[in-house]
Amino acid sequence: MTTRKRLRAPLAILTVTGLALTAACTSGGDDGDGDGGGDGGGDALSSLSIMAPYFAAVPPEEDDPIDLALSELTGVDLSVQWVPNTDYGERTNVVLAGDDIPDVMVMGKTPAFVQTAEAGGFWELTDYLNSGDYPNLVSENPEVQEATSVNGHVYGVYRSRDVIRHCIILRADWLANLGLEQPQTTDELFEVARAFTEDDPDGNGQDDTYGFINPAWPGSIGSGSPYDALELWNGAGNVWLEDGGELVPSFTTDEWMEALEYERDLVQNGYTNPDYATMDPATWNEPFLNGQGGIIIDVQSRAPQLVELFREQDPANAESYVALVGQPEGPHGTFAMPTAGYSNFLAIPRSSVETEEQLEQVLQVLNDMNSTEAQILLNNGIEGDNFTVEDDYAVYNEDRQDFTDQVSGAWAQLGTNVAGYNAYSTQPATPYDEELAQLRLDLQAEDLENAVFNPAAALASETYQSSGTQLDTLISDARIQFIAGQIDEAGVQDVIDRWHSQGGDQVIAELNELYSELG
Amino acid sequence: MATLIEAEAASGGADITPRPQNRRNVRETIVRYRWLLFLMLPGITYFALFRFWPMYGAQIAWRDYIPFLGIQGSEWVGWKHFEDFFTNPDFPRLLGNTLILAALSLFIAFPLTIVMALLLNELRLNILKRTVQTLVYVPHFLSWTVVVSLTGLLFAIGNGPLWTWLNDLMGTEINFLADPAWFRPLIVLQDVWKNTGWGTIIFLAALASVDQEQYEAAIIDGAGRWQRVWHITLPSIRSTIIVLLILQTGQILNTGFEQIYLMSNALNRSVADVFDTYVYFVGIQQGSYSYATAVGLAKAIVGVILIFGTNWIAKRFNQTGIF
Repeated sequence: MTTRKRLRAPLAILTVTGLALTAACTSGGDDGDGDGGGDGGGDALSSLSIMAPYFAAVPPEEDDPIDLALSELTGVDLSVQWVPNTDYGERTNVVLAGDDIPDVMVMGKTPAFVQTAEAGGFWELTDYLNSGDYPNLVSENPEVQEATSVNGHVYGVYRSRDVIRHCIILRADWLANLGLEQPQTTDELFEVARAFTEDDPDGNGQDDTYGFINPAWPGSIGSGSPYDALELWNGAGNVWLEDGGELVPSFTTDEWMEALEYERDLVQNGYTNPDYATMDPATWNEPFLNGQGGIIIDVQSRAPQLVELFREQDPANAESYVALVGQPEGPHGTFAMPTAGYSNFLAIPRSSVETEEQLEQVLQVLNDMNSTEAQILLNNGIEGDNFTVEDDYAVYNEDRQDFTDQVSGAWAQLGTNVAGYNAYSTQPATPYDEELAQLRLDLQAEDLENAVFNPAAALASETYQSSGTQLDTLISDARIQFIAGQIDEAGVQDVIDRWHSQGGDQVIAELNELYSELG
Repeated sequence: MATLIEAEAASGGADITPRPQNRRNVRETIVRYRWLLFLMLPGITYFALFRFWPMYGAQIAWRDYIPFLGIQGSEWVGWKHFEDFFTNPDFPRLLGNTLILAALSLFIAFPLTIVMALLLNELRLNILKRTVQTLVYVPHFLSWTVVVSLTGLLFAIGNGPLWTWLNDLMGTEINFLADPAWFRPLIVLQDVWKNTGWGTIIFLAALASVDQEQYEAAIIDGAGRWQRVWHITLPSIRSTIIVLLILQTGQILNTGFEQIYLMSNALNRSVADVFDTYVYFVGIQQGSYSYATAVGLAKAIVGVILIFGTNWIAKRFNQTGIF
């Protein structure tokens, strides 16, 4: 009897563990049609699930005040699956491969997205957005909406960003010491870089300064690097260039090569930081703050950041260090570098939103979430709780900083603002900050007139999808090697020939075919 | 506890009687070894879930995998991705870079571990030996990110302490971090600094089991220190060295993604591109999961062949292999 009993116990454990394991293995596959929000077949949605990235230290909890207010505003029970921004891209692939797909996902135009969209994984929204049924989703920048599309098919409501962000940031005190004007052309910029290196701008009698500060850029070509900016200013176009109705890669133009020589001269004469090929972009501010280098080509928002850092270092003179200059005129004309104008978009998977009625309902919710009232919730928070309004500016309550961080670090990620940003801006702390903010807006307006957009932004070539990263890296590596003096112009040409033969020619052919089709 | 001992006792008895192969006996064996089998359950579960089950997904190497369509739904393309990989113009360069780095690690880092273990073993002052041992283990616990950042600071052009020193010594301005000629030396240097100390552990364990009487006898016969190391110590740990060498050979194509990825930049990419970084670029950044899986599989197969190959050679030379 006793032996029998002894036998049963482990067997029972075995069986239970086995069952548990089987259950664990299959639970992912048995959810049927996988309605993230728990909404059945073709019925109207009572809840809406959204997958979005967050930057805050802690994601908002389910049914936090913003969630409740938004749910009330839109009439559906919203639930957001927050994913840390660093894991987001990877997670979207896992989610798309699974069965529990949310109703709305923040997606970027990655090769995986394009493949999925072309395989019918997402609703095409072009006609819906253009119908005017959703006034808050009508884009104020049709070019940007076009750029978010895949060969003219819009698959998402884009999250609007400033179209002009690039500028030149200089050490204002060095300019003053040397009696130099703010550079308005690329030639003047070169002269400032020379003077910052050779004319002892900090007046300490030592040869310890340089002009440009360039970090090792993590992206390849057309990724907003200082090099991309210099090439565009020289008239090489924005990644692609239209030449007599044909699209050509900008790096095949003479203007591009000319810009590369300009960049090489900056490096070879010592007008650039010596570790330009290896410097960690996270330490970009340091040489500027320490008085080693004096020129940064980057986004405007770096300027107030630098002012803030100078305030910690030297509160009395903090306002005399940073000069913000708009994009300069080049030898072949005035060209300004725009951003893509958006950062990812809200796309609607077909496997969770199954019918057209449901789609219209989701679009209505997204429309409501872009109303002024919802924009304030998403970008500022709850008025009277974490902020108050003074002179049309938001003034934040320091006691509720944690909540404000969750709003700006998470909820703001759901804002699309395609029809304009109507929430409150943060009140500038000092008159100087207000001036700087105004200067940024003025420069944005000025540069927008000269913006050169990428004519191929909306086009998805099949070859580029499968080998674009490698092709682009060939060119961006050749660029740095040329600047470093490792290869000469013929060497760059060799790499460009390799680009052509390893798939570049196909990319050109495919893009031009799409380009002529879309007119 | 009592049952466990009982089961072990029973298992001891089982070996005496010859067992005919039939179902009844299989069942009896299972019943008899139930507790041992039960103890194996977590291990079996682990391998089944995390090692064998994922192999189902390896089939995407023969498909054009799109996550949304699922594994079964993606189009079957046969050997296309393998062909693309082996005919790729980058292939010879990737293979060359990978093999050179692997060879450097095998012929420099691996022998250095043995040398270090022998040196530690020769230390007679116990407190010194223990202190040194602990100190050389420390770098192993730093992540590659930290090691690479440290290298970056030390060799920073213009103000890195080591850069300044070497610059004075050699009189030329070398950008160690970006010069393709210095990439491999730096990689080996980092590898040696980080892993040599840790690698000595197994050798030290083997050295501890060497029969001390042999040394005493050798001393009486008039053997010097070098002779003792050469004729007693090294032969005693020969089998350990061979086992580790075989295992190391199997890892030859795994060049350590993190270290190389973090150390590569636009100027040294021609020598820094290896299979692991290639899989990352193509598979993760470009989303070509099928292609990257094919590359990974090809790499794994080469690894298995190398393990069997080295094992076979070791046996040919009359040494013990690992299987």
